[in-house]
Amino acid sequence: MVAARASHWKAPLLVATLPLPPAAVGTPAVEVLDLSHRYASAAGEVVALEHASLRVAAGEFVSIVGPSGCGKTTLLRAVAGLLAPSGGEVRVLGGAPRDAQRAHALGLVTQDPGLLPWRSVEANVRLPLEITGATADVSALLERVGIARFARYRPGQLSGGMRQRVALARALAHGPRLLLMDEPFGALDELSREDLRLELLALWERERIAVLFVTHAIHEAVLLSDRVVVMSGSPGRVAADIAIDLPRPRTDDLISTPRFVALDAEVRAALRGSAPATRGAR
Amino acid sequence: MARATTDRPASRADVSDLPNLDVRRASGSRDPLLLTLLPAIVVVAIIGGWEAWVRIAQVKRYLLPAPSEVARALAAEPLRYLDAAATSLGAALGGLLIATLGAFALGVVMAHSRALERALYPPALLLKVMPIVAVYPLFLIWFGFGIWPRVLIAALITFFPVLVNTVIGLRSIDPQAHDFLRALHASRSQIFWRLRLPSSLPYLFAALRISVPLSLIGAVVAEFLSGASGMGQLILVANGDFDTPALFGAVIVLATMGVSLTVGISYLERRVLDWHDSYRGV
Repeated sequence: MVAARASHWKAPLLVATLPLPPAAVGTPAVEVLDLSHRYASAAGEVVALEHASLRVAAGEFVSIVGPSGCGKTTLLRAVAGLLAPSGGEVRVLGGAPRDAQRAHALGLVTQDPGLLPWRSVEANVRLPLEITGATADVSALLERVGIARFARYRPGQLSGGMRQRVALARALAHGPRLLLMDEPFGALDELSREDLRLELLALWERERIAVLFVTHAIHEAVLLSDRVVVMSGSPGRVAADIAIDLPRPRTDDLISTPRFVALDAEVRAALRGSAPATRGAR
Repeated sequence: MARATTDRPASRADVSDLPNLDVRRASGSRDPLLLTLLPAIVVVAIIGGWEAWVRIAQVKRYLLPAPSEVARALAAEPLRYLDAAATSLGAALGGLLIATLGAFALGVVMAHSRALERALYPPALLLKVMPIVAVYPLFLIWFGFGIWPRVLIAALITFFPVLVNTVIGLRSIDPQAHDFLRALHASRSQIFWRLRLPSSLPYLFAALRISVPLSLIGAVVAEFLSGASGMGQLILVANGDFDTPALFGAVIVLATMGVSLTVGISYLERRVLDWHDSYRGV
């Protein structure tokens, strides 16, 4: 799947040799079945997730939207193998999340990008290559996300938007087959958000790796995704799963089309319907 | 670590120890040379005032010698002071080196295992709360009158600050960076070298800045107690002779040693930690 589409690239970035057996085209990138997670806190037991299920097909872009505290991040962390859920099953690329980690098949972008402040931009992007032993053309990758001229800067010298570009390049460097993004643009100003959104869209439409994207911006989810999974508040469950049948490649212009507006309204309604009256203000 | 060394304004070093005064901003466009010279002018004024007061009020020599007398005492036997200083410095730095290596190694172990931390913390704490001077006679019995008892006293005094800071530092990692590495199935040693160790350096330098003067105190006190050669002995002898100028001379030599070491550590710190928040964008 990935190899077939890599030909669209000017510079082949995904040249990493993955030890994972070549997955059949039909193998879903993510399958979450009946996932539950509860943990003890000072205030008693917290139910973060209850019977959540979702699926991301190979090469599909799926967003999760939901109010704060609905378990979106918990779900993403379970998919990344960073958290052992208390119930249910998570399969990533046909195996356990740990297997996907081992195969270096995951790329992670978080709201606070967690770049290493002592490394230059370039060295930050090289980090996953050092860990995995994969090779990639780092300067082409930096070019691709528009940060080539900041290659020698430290993260502390960059704006939030630029840092997220570095995080995106870093997440893609080792050639992952599943990109996990947890509110990657959440801390940015509106203009930077817009830029990065379009950048991600263009990048994904060329590369077509599976993406699981957590956000609470509804129009962002609609613009980017093939499907939008709406989660309800505590305890987190999946309230709706809405297919976004907008044509691709997509651009900013779509936002004003009737179909976009209708889908946006549908997601909004699913969110409102899922939220108890007391938390409607969110 | 110090892969890039950014040039800093020359005035930076001179005011870095006066963080709250913000001399630079207050001075506006005033002569930077004046700012550099300001501390020197204050020192000269103090010495001049002291000299004048001793001469005018005819203060007795054994109570408070004039600075010129102290300078004469130092100039009369410079080798005696240098020799003593070298001996004390050797003991202090030897102890500091042993403590730093040992405490860092132990800190690495404790930072990786809560169980070992629990097991090892009480004995480490015991070292800290124990009046270390009280075990010195024991060291004399065990190790004789050579340099080793002094080295060990300096090591014992500096061990705990380094240990505590190492453990805290190695744990003070950015959770997002840690997640990113874990999602790539990074090994413990990869995480240690690429994330934990660099993250701990600011804490390690803080520990060194505390420990350097402590190690000097340890060495000098040990010399007081045993009458072994070094600055401690020099002070004892001067005291016995009521040779107050020599006493002041010894104090000045010790102060110079402490200041030089601290300046050296600060310089190294600025070089190594030029990425760190506390040094960035000044």
